[in-house]
Amino acid sequence: MVQEKPTGEVAALPLDDIIVEIKGMTFTRGSRKIFDDISLKIPRGKVTAIMGPSGTGKTTLLKLIGGQLRPDAGQILLEGQNIPTLNRRDLFIVREKMGMLFQSGALFTDMNVFDNVAFPIRVHTSIPEEMIRDIVLMKLHAVGLRGAVALMPSELSGGMARRVALARAISLDPDIVMYDEPFTGQDPIAMGVLVNLIKRLNQALGHTSIIVSHDIQETLSIADYIYVLSNGKVIAEGTPDVLKTQDSEQVRQFVDGLPDGPVPFHYPAPELMDELMAGGVFKC
Amino acid sequence: MRIRTVEISVGLFMLVGFAALIVLALNVSGLNLTPRAGGYTLYANFENIGGLTPRARVSMSGVQIGEVRAIRLDPQLLVAEVEMNIFADVDFISTDSSAMILTSGLLGQQYIGIIPGGDLDVLGDGDFIFNTQSALVLEDLVGKFLMNQVSE
Amino acid sequence: MLIDKIQRLGHRTLSRCAAFGRSGQILVQSIVARPAPLMMLPLLVKQIYFVGVLSLVIIVVSGAFIGMVLGLQGYTILVDYGSEQAVGQMVALSLLRELAPVVTALLFAGRAGSALTAEIGLMKATEQLASLEMIGVDPYRRIIAPRLYAGFICMPLLSMIFAVVGIWGAALVAVDWLGIHSGAYWANMQQAVDFRGDVINGLIKAVVFGFVVTWIAVYQGYDCVPTSEGISQATTRTVVYASLAVLGFDFVLTALMFGDF
Repeated sequence: MVQEKPTGEVAALPLDDIIVEIKGMTFTRGSRKIFDDISLKIPRGKVTAIMGPSGTGKTTLLKLIGGQLRPDAGQILLEGQNIPTLNRRDLFIVREKMGMLFQSGALFTDMNVFDNVAFPIRVHTSIPEEMIRDIVLMKLHAVGLRGAVALMPSELSGGMARRVALARAISLDPDIVMYDEPFTGQDPIAMGVLVNLIKRLNQALGHTSIIVSHDIQETLSIADYIYVLSNGKVIAEGTPDVLKTQDSEQVRQFVDGLPDGPVPFHYPAPELMDELMAGGVFKC
Repeated sequence: MRIRTVEISVGLFMLVGFAALIVLALNVSGLNLTPRAGGYTLYANFENIGGLTPRARVSMSGVQIGEVRAIRLDPQLLVAEVEMNIFADVDFISTDSSAMILTSGLLGQQYIGIIPGGDLDVLGDGDFIFNTQSALVLEDLVGKFLMNQVSE
Repeated sequence: MLIDKIQRLGHRTLSRCAAFGRSGQILVQSIVARPAPLMMLPLLVKQIYFVGVLSLVIIVVSGAFIGMVLGLQGYTILVDYGSEQAVGQMVALSLLRELAPVVTALLFAGRAGSALTAEIGLMKATEQLASLEMIGVDPYRRIIAPRLYAGFICMPLLSMIFAVVGIWGAALVAVDWLGIHSGAYWANMQQAVDFRGDVINGLIKAVVFGFVVTWIAVYQGYDCVPTSEGISQATTRTVVYASLAVLGFDFVLTALMFGDF
């Protein structure tokens, strides 16, 4: 069942301790194969990044790990439990061990910052309110937003909203924190703050971080291990240093940000000259 | 504090809604929650009751004194038998009173009007009013009118 | 060409069926399979506020105007037959049996239904629903169920308020302006209106409409394409489908309640 990676040199995993393992997983949406028989392992307590051009289904991968989507084939093992076979009830229990930072932050717009961070605690535990207050303030302090406790989500900037969402994601001290495009659309300062925060929280709390991103420099700077996806396959994997020296064309184009390469600049079209010479009126 | 205004307004809303139901019940449909206790039953036979329905008013000189309980066809006499419930405090309907089916306005509801007689004996529970006058049926009137025209 | 059209028709039919199935799934997931725990009460109160209290103004204003129009029209028609006292009965019956539930439901679809769709759609677009799921909270239970219940509760209340305001508005026109005797207005009405037959049947209609409108609104929001365009389309669909469903159901219910078959 376990398949060897199709391309690239196989680098040794930094640790043998695996928390999430995906085995021969295939997922199709409509007629398009998002994942084609991929396998990957995510080590415990490390920052693992999953990278790739837009549209390669990186966010989908997180949703698959979180059990929001079910694959067509293959296994997704979280500490030995196969996520796709769990029923709704067990899934909700498993999810208590996961925290997820969504691309938009996904704060509940009808609650203030405090209630947003307190929400998972209130739902899953019966901790008294005074203690919830302390926990929430500690989590907010960790992301540097203790002063924003009474604000509504609409009053926060994008970067702040993402940090509050991060505080919410770690409020129950999950084993795994998944970050969906944490750096997209942030100004350089907010980006730096987030990079720093993800690294620091990972070290301080000892959870496993899975980052999905296409921001190369930021991701390379904090990830312990990286998988590069393209066209439903893992095209490369390894530590950041290994990846920087990869000579596969696809990886080079992605890592160096070249405009043209295996991923073409032009959307498939007939030759420009042919089309111009054909004349006629543009029909839609 | 904001949540309290929400709660209060929701409470008020629910109260207004239920008040509306009560208004509809009592004021609009005339639902009588405390029907006058007791009362007694009178019967009357009519050759034709027209459009009389159960729960129609029974009145004397325009004052309501009861309501129609049920309407049946008497199998022997082959006329309509109307069962009326008369309020208990109206215990002075003399035995020679007459009952007639009237219409309130041209298109209004039909009701029973009781015209008191002069006898000293009064009707009791289960008695019949013998002196009755049927409902006016428009077709009959028109028919009679035409016959008169022809005979002239 | 023809094959293509048939193929598309078949495809559309199938996707309609699937949509209907999904809407049923939402209903079952959020209420039938999971009876609401008491914890839901604060959420319910909040939703009743949004769905009911905020619809109150439009309901009261339109109720008053529709009642006044009915009073005026009824008077001008009935005065030709010399039975203008029957205006109370006409207004009350038309309001209780038809206009109050139907017009309230249409306004409700426009005011509360579209707001529900937009709100849930926005929650989907901003990943709040997915985020709830990841936190381990069932969005059906947390988001959908309170809104459905609020719709069931609010519609009959709003409909009754509409009827009362309408009857009062008609009284204002008929009695105070046109000079019908107020005793005749109310007495004729009380004579003609039956509590079971008219008030309760109207109430049943309102409950059914509330159910249908909220269900459609919630489904459209939950199933929309999570973009701003998708949300606006879903909102439009809510109003259109809900209005059509209300009118269709109204005929069926009227036939069942007042028809003789």
